[in-house]
Amino acid sequence: MRIPFNEILLRTKQGPIIEEKTFDLSLFKKTQELQKRYDIKYNPENPVDISGELADRVYRAGVELFLDIGAYCTNTRRAVKVTERELLAEIDACPDAVELGQGDDRVKMVHRDVEGNQEAIVVAGIQTAPFSDEEMMYKIYKGCAMDRCIEGIWGGILLKIDGKYDVIAGAPSEIYQYRKTVEIMRRAINDAGRPGMITINNAPSSAATIAMFDEEAGLRKSDYMESTGMSELKVAYDDLNRSAYALAHGVSIHGTHSSTIGGFSANPEGATITAVAGSLQLITIHKAESFRCGTVDSRIKSRLSRNQLWAAGTAIQALNRNTRLIVDGSIGDHPGAGPGTKQYLYESAAGHIISTVMGGHSTEGTRKFVVGNTPNYGTPLESRWMGEVCKAAVGVDRKTADRIVKYLLSKYEDKLKDAPDGDTFEKLYDMETLEPLPHYQQLYGEVKAEFENQGLKFRG
Amino acid sequence: MEISKLPQEQQDLLKSLKKAIVAIDEDTAKKVAQDIVGNDIDPKIAIKYAIAGGAIAVGDKFDTGEYFLPHLVMAGDLMDEVGKILEKNIPAGQLEKKRLVVIGAVQGDMHSVGKNLVSTMLRSGGFEVHDMGVDVSSMAFIDRAKELNADMIALSSLLTTTMPYLKEVVEDLKAMGIRENFKIMIGGGPVTRDYAEEIGADGYGKDAIEAVDEAKKIFS
Repeated sequence: MRIPFNEILLRTKQGPIIEEKTFDLSLFKKTQELQKRYDIKYNPENPVDISGELADRVYRAGVELFLDIGAYCTNTRRAVKVTERELLAEIDACPDAVELGQGDDRVKMVHRDVEGNQEAIVVAGIQTAPFSDEEMMYKIYKGCAMDRCIEGIWGGILLKIDGKYDVIAGAPSEIYQYRKTVEIMRRAINDAGRPGMITINNAPSSAATIAMFDEEAGLRKSDYMESTGMSELKVAYDDLNRSAYALAHGVSIHGTHSSTIGGFSANPEGATITAVAGSLQLITIHKAESFRCGTVDSRIKSRLSRNQLWAAGTAIQALNRNTRLIVDGSIGDHPGAGPGTKQYLYESAAGHIISTVMGGHSTEGTRKFVVGNTPNYGTPLESRWMGEVCKAAVGVDRKTADRIVKYLLSKYEDKLKDAPDGDTFEKLYDMETLEPLPHYQQLYGEVKAEFENQGLKFRG
Repeated sequence: MEISKLPQEQQDLLKSLKKAIVAIDEDTAKKVAQDIVGNDIDPKIAIKYAIAGGAIAVGDKFDTGEYFLPHLVMAGDLMDEVGKILEKNIPAGQLEKKRLVVIGAVQGDMHSVGKNLVSTMLRSGGFEVHDMGVDVSSMAFIDRAKELNADMIALSSLLTTTMPYLKEVVEDLKAMGIRENFKIMIGGGPVTRDYAEEIGADGYGKDAIEAVDEAKKIFS
């Protein structure tokens, strides 16, 4: 049985009061202690834990961390804790399958085993990136939606309303603008012939996120509601507002949390433990039915460095070997390099191969790590790549993944701090035919052939 | 800082204090600080050599990946405690006033990691830091900066849709006729130096280390 949401809300009011800094330092001290006690060591030579024994120890450490310090509610400055019995019952009661999308586009997202053959669900699209205008946004979404290797698309944002007014988080313009983005997404998937396709978007504020839900022209009950756990092991009422809405309206909740290398988790060993604990926070406190288990490195503007691949991949494996939960990996979502470069494709593939092989889905879209204010900084081709790689990695074993990922790291890891910016949609696509320009199509083909030579079997 | 002209015993104490601070060895650092006070070593020299020098060494360890955010926080706490011990013998009027920075993530922005790093590094870098946390409204920044008579407001934005608040703080200060009272430094994932210049901020830090250098440059 799951802990009722209202019981969780009560605990945010009745848990022990603790200074935020004290909580942060307790996370650091506990993860340091756990990594010694459970003999959790990061060996850069092995970005993939092939045996799974290490992952099992990471799982036990993650459970212990969450039970020991709980999650910190930033509104009430209290720690929210659960007992071991409650946690085990929560894990047991979580679904091992959810259905998303509608009609012919409906898909079942199930628990995936490590090296499992269960289908990896892919929600691609240029996630949370700014677009110059409605027409450009429509073209890019439609291009993404036409690719049959993905099951859904993530939305972005319009920089201006009516080409004139700034869109500002927390202001009424945010509600208006985000609502507009999902209307455009719905038009794009309809015109792409995939009206039931999953569409996702998440605004900075819960008010704007909730305002996107509308069966006729916005997000639907068949899409999911994202509820984010703040880094690290923290929760704000604004995140729980999203959970409250979803629970009241029958929308599946998808949680996200990222542990932070360089943050209070400190090293990669700490981050992999906290990534497991953060996932447990998402199911118990946010009431997630599926969740993204992730790691970031606060000092690198890419999610694909070797230490992040190891930390996130090990945590995903830990959860999938020890539970029947539905885990989203999405490690490859934010490369340091920009669109139109080989490095983008290498980085993205390294993360998505590990995610998929470790039993993760990939539903968090794709885009360059830092896009800033540059509009249209992504194309449907990166979205297709994410889909093609995830599907090709289904059923691949960890040993093969380890070999391919090491090959990929040799291609890009020394270039992460000075990654190429790449180009925007306008410079990579023909604006009339909406097809990739020959040079980008050729680059894509070359990289795909390179992967085939490495033994990855693409479906189409 | 050059300490070679001091007696050997005093040099050894100062080196021990710096070493203990860099190692975040609380007990040793406090004990040596008391010994320094007991040996009548000029506290200003001790602060400059052991605390300011220690802060640089801790920053270097962060830069090379040996130390992480919690180490910076703990070292910062230790430097504060050691500073209080050493400052006991400095007459109130002779205490060097630290520049005060009010810092936070702007309204609608819940990202704290980068801001925490900058906050902690500024503290280690000799600034007094008042951290307002995340999701802070423009007027709340201004009110607090006025209340504390701050020297600088440091603003973080990780989202394209929260960047307009960076400009809003600058514009609100101008509208209130108090823009010149505070320096403004901005940073965060989507923020660039060009954007800082465009909105009329005084400085920009692309990461925590650059932010400290920038803050020092602004007040030099």
